[in-house]
Amino acid sequence: MLRAVKAKNARSKRVLDARLPKEVEDARTTIFVKGTHTGDVLNSVMKELMALKRPHAIAFNKKNAILPFDTSSTSHQSLEFWAGKNDASMFVVGQSTKKRPHGLSFVRMYDGRVLDMLEVGIENWAGMSSFKTPKSTPGHKPLMHFASELFDTHPRFVQLKSMLVDFFNGEEIDSICLPGIEHVISVSCAPTPSTLNTATLPTSGVTQDDTASLPKVHVRTYTIKLLASGTRIPRVELVPMGPSLDLVMRRHQPADSELWKQAMKRPKLKKTEVERGLGKKKKNLEVDDMGDLRGRVHIAKQDLKKLQTRKMKGLKGGDENQDEDMEDSREVKRQKV
Amino acid sequence: MRRVDCTGLCLDERMWFVQAKQLVPRFKVFFKHHNLSKMDVSAILASQIEKYQSVTVEKETPLEVDNGLLLVTDLNPVDEESYNENLEDHLQNLAREGVQTLLTSLFSLPTKPSPDGPLAILPPRIYQLPRAKPLPKPKPPTKWERFASAKGIQKKGSEKRDKKVWDEEKQDWVSRWGWGGKNREKEIQWLHVVPANADAEFDPRKAARDERKERIAKNDKRQQQNIARASGSTSAPQQRKSEIDTTLATTRISTASMGKFDRKLDGEKKMRGIKRKFEPTETRVDDEAKSSLALLSKMESDGKKIRMSSKTHSTEGAGGEGTLNVRKAIRFESKGRGGVALSRGGSSSRGRGGKKPMRGRR
Repeated sequence: MLRAVKAKNARSKRVLDARLPKEVEDARTTIFVKGTHTGDVLNSVMKELMALKRPHAIAFNKKNAILPFDTSSTSHQSLEFWAGKNDASMFVVGQSTKKRPHGLSFVRMYDGRVLDMLEVGIENWAGMSSFKTPKSTPGHKPLMHFASELFDTHPRFVQLKSMLVDFFNGEEIDSICLPGIEHVISVSCAPTPSTLNTATLPTSGVTQDDTASLPKVHVRTYTIKLLASGTRIPRVELVPMGPSLDLVMRRHQPADSELWKQAMKRPKLKKTEVERGLGKKKKNLEVDDMGDLRGRVHIAKQDLKKLQTRKMKGLKGGDENQDEDMEDSREVKRQKV
Repeated sequence: MRRVDCTGLCLDERMWFVQAKQLVPRFKVFFKHHNLSKMDVSAILASQIEKYQSVTVEKETPLEVDNGLLLVTDLNPVDEESYNENLEDHLQNLAREGVQTLLTSLFSLPTKPSPDGPLAILPPRIYQLPRAKPLPKPKPPTKWERFASAKGIQKKGSEKRDKKVWDEEKQDWVSRWGWGGKNREKEIQWLHVVPANADAEFDPRKAARDERKERIAKNDKRQQQNIARASGSTSAPQQRKSEIDTTLATTRISTASMGKFDRKLDGEKKMRGIKRKFEPTETRVDDEAKSSLALLSKMESDGKKIRMSSKTHSTEGAGGEGTLNVRKAIRFESKGRGGVALSRGGSSSRGRGGKKPMRGRR
């Protein structure tokens, strides 16, 4: 549906070049969309999440009839169109129905197509205004903390962790000003019920019982206070700030394995990184003490007798200075050949 | 500037030392009197240990820290009792321990100085996130980039141009381009010196403008060529041009002197590195015989023909048209009568008109 835009002047060309894929990507721009019916809770939650996500966030003003989990609808096409037009790669869709009250759907895109989706329901939330504490500066990178063993084992929670890290985390950075770390977003689960522990993966199809048996997820945001301790490392104290949500897992759509593999491709390691010592250990390559990358070249042993050197005619000794014997002997040699 | 004397200490430090030295015997008396030597030290040590402990976190399984992503994961199972007791406190304690571990590792990272203060250098990420867009395809290098990499020319940062340039005459900064820019100097100036040998219709302003436009057009042309080369598209005239070039090159090498003394055309490219190889005049008899036999067998063999026909078979599916002109063959064989006549009485006339290669006498 989107027409291919051709740049007519230098400014539009710069905008188009900024949208081209890069090796190291920027933060995912997120679009906050409201469904046909949202309600107070969802509106406030989405506002607060947007505050945490600024400036990489766009909010749609009007309500849209979008149902990401309804495969028969044109919702996916709408999502793809919006993603292309706004150069965004993540969506937060809020929809509240009688069956699924206060539902929030996270959608991730790859290459203009939907990669994976995740729906959660909101129970018990407290907004930033209800905490009368100082807040962090918008735009600062948050620390993230996940607490539960399910985030490593259960596929749904693995997806949730990936989605939340992608949502809150900003762009890739290689150095940070330590005093600039102001807040932390902590995601933890309720204690794991025994049903999940015994069966590693639910072999039967995902039924409604399964989604109900999944433990609740608690999201809390705190500001970090650093207190002096005896050592160089300060002691950490947390002060609650910002939104706190209790989420219930609902529907989900995992990523297509082929698309996921493509999305997880890494760029080739550059020479500077190999010099630092990353990447697979290659034979005959090593980084010496000075930090330079050195290689070894193995060649066969050279027969020095057959070595072809430059012919210096001036060094030959000169024929006129030779005595008769030498000349005779040389003439004899020539005749033999 | 600190004033330093022979001991290496500055004046203030020396004075402090002197004072401290005077105080030590007084401390000794104090300690002895109050019997503090045994008690205070342990108390101080205990408080020190407490401070240290407040920075360390003990858990069953150590927490996974990803410095590059500022992420810490706690894989210990959730403690049900504290969870049920007070949810918020439990969550806050969990988070505090996690953040403490993360900050401990963050503060132990190497730092680099910057105008805003020390920056901690983050290691590359461990936890991988999916990309939003596919990896960029590597662009093929442009003609200049190829030349530069072959020559070893490195791109320096000093090539960045400023918008303003210092003009010696005006003793002021002039912009390099745009309104009143230095690149349009010759067009804008109010007085032009016209050389004596110029014709009556010489317009210096127009000449300067044309020169500038020509430079721009050349740059555009080079850019377009780079883009075309990068996309790999070759149009029909370009293909024909490269075809002609290769044919020309082959014809030049076909002479005995490798085209060194041929009359060159206007737009022809110089042939580099193609020399005639002269074999030594005195070779061994068997080598000479071997080379002559090899040459003969190459001339006689149908190897090239077979190869040619197989190539045409593979490229044009239907029939090897390159090797045989069927119409002409039929005309020759039938002596103008045609293919039908040939099929009727062909067997008799085959022996006479057969095209067999001449075999020289060995």
